[in-house]
Amino acid sequence: MSLAPAPTAATRSIRERLLRRGGERAAADRAILVLHDVTKTYPNGKTALRDVDLVVPEGDFVFLVGPSGAGKSTIIKLLIRDEIATQGQVVLDGHDLAKLPRRAVPRVRRKIGIVFQDFKLLPTKSVWENVAFALEVTGTPRRRIRPAVDRVLALVGLTAQRAQIPSQLSGGEQQRTAIARALVHDPRLIIADEPTGNLDPLISWEIIQLLLRINELGVTVMMATHDADVVTALRKRVVALEEGRVIRDEVGGAYHRAD
Amino acid sequence: MIGFVAFSLRRAWQGFWRNALMSLAATATMVLMLLLLAGFWIIQTGLLSALDFTESKVQVQVNMNVDTTPAAAEALGEKIKTLPGVAGATLITREDALARFQQSMKDQGREDLSKYLDKNPFPPSYEIALTDPSFAAPVAAALQPNQNPAVRNVLDTKETAKNVKTVTDIMRTAGSVILLVIGVIVLFIIVNTIRLAVVARAEEIEIMRLVGASDAFIRWPFVFEGAMVGLLGAAITLLGLYLLADPIGGFMVDFFRVLPLSFGSLARDLVIIVTSAGLGLGVLGSWLSVRTYLIR
Repeated sequence: MSLAPAPTAATRSIRERLLRRGGERAAADRAILVLHDVTKTYPNGKTALRDVDLVVPEGDFVFLVGPSGAGKSTIIKLLIRDEIATQGQVVLDGHDLAKLPRRAVPRVRRKIGIVFQDFKLLPTKSVWENVAFALEVTGTPRRRIRPAVDRVLALVGLTAQRAQIPSQLSGGEQQRTAIARALVHDPRLIIADEPTGNLDPLISWEIIQLLLRINELGVTVMMATHDADVVTALRKRVVALEEGRVIRDEVGGAYHRAD
Repeated sequence: MIGFVAFSLRRAWQGFWRNALMSLAATATMVLMLLLLAGFWIIQTGLLSALDFTESKVQVQVNMNVDTTPAAAEALGEKIKTLPGVAGATLITREDALARFQQSMKDQGREDLSKYLDKNPFPPSYEIALTDPSFAAPVAAALQPNQNPAVRNVLDTKETAKNVKTVTDIMRTAGSVILLVIGVIVLFIIVNTIRLAVVARAEEIEIMRLVGASDAFIRWPFVFEGAMVGLLGAAITLLGLYLLADPIGGFMVDFFRVLPLSFGSLARDLVIIVTSAGLGLGVLGSWLSVRTYLIR
């Protein structure tokens, strides 16, 4: 999906662009994620998000940027339904998350693969077991687990390390394991919350390359990050948050607002 | 379904041994708590036996006129046995009563004073055993001299019977209350111990949640682990009690002065109580502990 990249053009929301192309229905149909007028206020009174509008079409690569406390983590929590929006709608792959009964939540979570800054691997399980874990605990029959795990390990390049446990791996290898685990379900959307936060610049680039490759395969990727160099270099879609509001949403954007 | 159960059991087994230290701590706590529960149950059983025994000792004594003929005495005895609440009636002849008195003096090391008397002062009497102390009053009332010519007097055991009944009732209630309180304390301690074990696995649960495991998949392996802790604890406790069976029996006889006639049923009760308490507490503890992570 190629969109006008001009970084100095006036900011236009993706939503407007799609609306012009094919109408509201088309925009919604091809969107993997829609946030409509979303506000989130926590019980302690803090408003983490205000009137957020966001449409992510399938296949997009989106950077979510902003200072700490801007609301990036809150958006991610809303997407995995750890929290529910105080106002507005969050629609993931056609499912209105607020209306989902609790029992349906795990199934929807399997459409998303999540990658964290601290990897969140099980320390006593090997690479292979960590990835297989995601399929085991969701009831996949054993005969389907083996080929699926082998496939994603090959994709992230960890086939040789399959028997090692996290303490024997480098930071980059651990993150690749986490990415493999996120992928093993065949999700439509990968959410990465500061995936390169604990990694040095060279390894960070490897991880980004991996995510880009995954995106090319058709998986939507949404990445929250502080890494200004990466964002600016790639000129992908940038959604900038500040104090809970979307202040910028442009394709081909740099980390900082261009003046 | 079978696959799910097999999966949960396998994860429970792995989980138990991978976190061996915590599992053993939980099991040790379970054993201590079950021993406490079993101990109180044994004491409670002994107490109830002793109380029953005490109550059976309450009697009504009916003194007959000195000149009562054997036929009249026998007629009175028949009448007594028909009264409600009477477990049995024993005839004590004058000679029996005197012999008892003399034996009692001898046992106490006192001089036999009866030799100073030229005739036997003791009347014939009936000692009436009751099925329950509450029958003392009606039985005594039915045997009053005005209705029964052979009766001289009925020893007033009303107050004694009432007092004994009051005390035994209070002790029964107290015993039950204490057992209940112990049970609640045991529940709290077990639940908290298991909760500690689950908290140590919080990150594992978090990951399961995030990758989209359903509540059942997260909960059941932990519940089975709790059951394992409970059953293992119960087994160890019962083994310990078995090894201590002789000292326990000795204790019951010495302390309560009760022959453990019902030892067989006590043993069976203990097995049932310890096993079901262990299993129940283990399962409940795990279920409640995991629930805090699933509420979202």
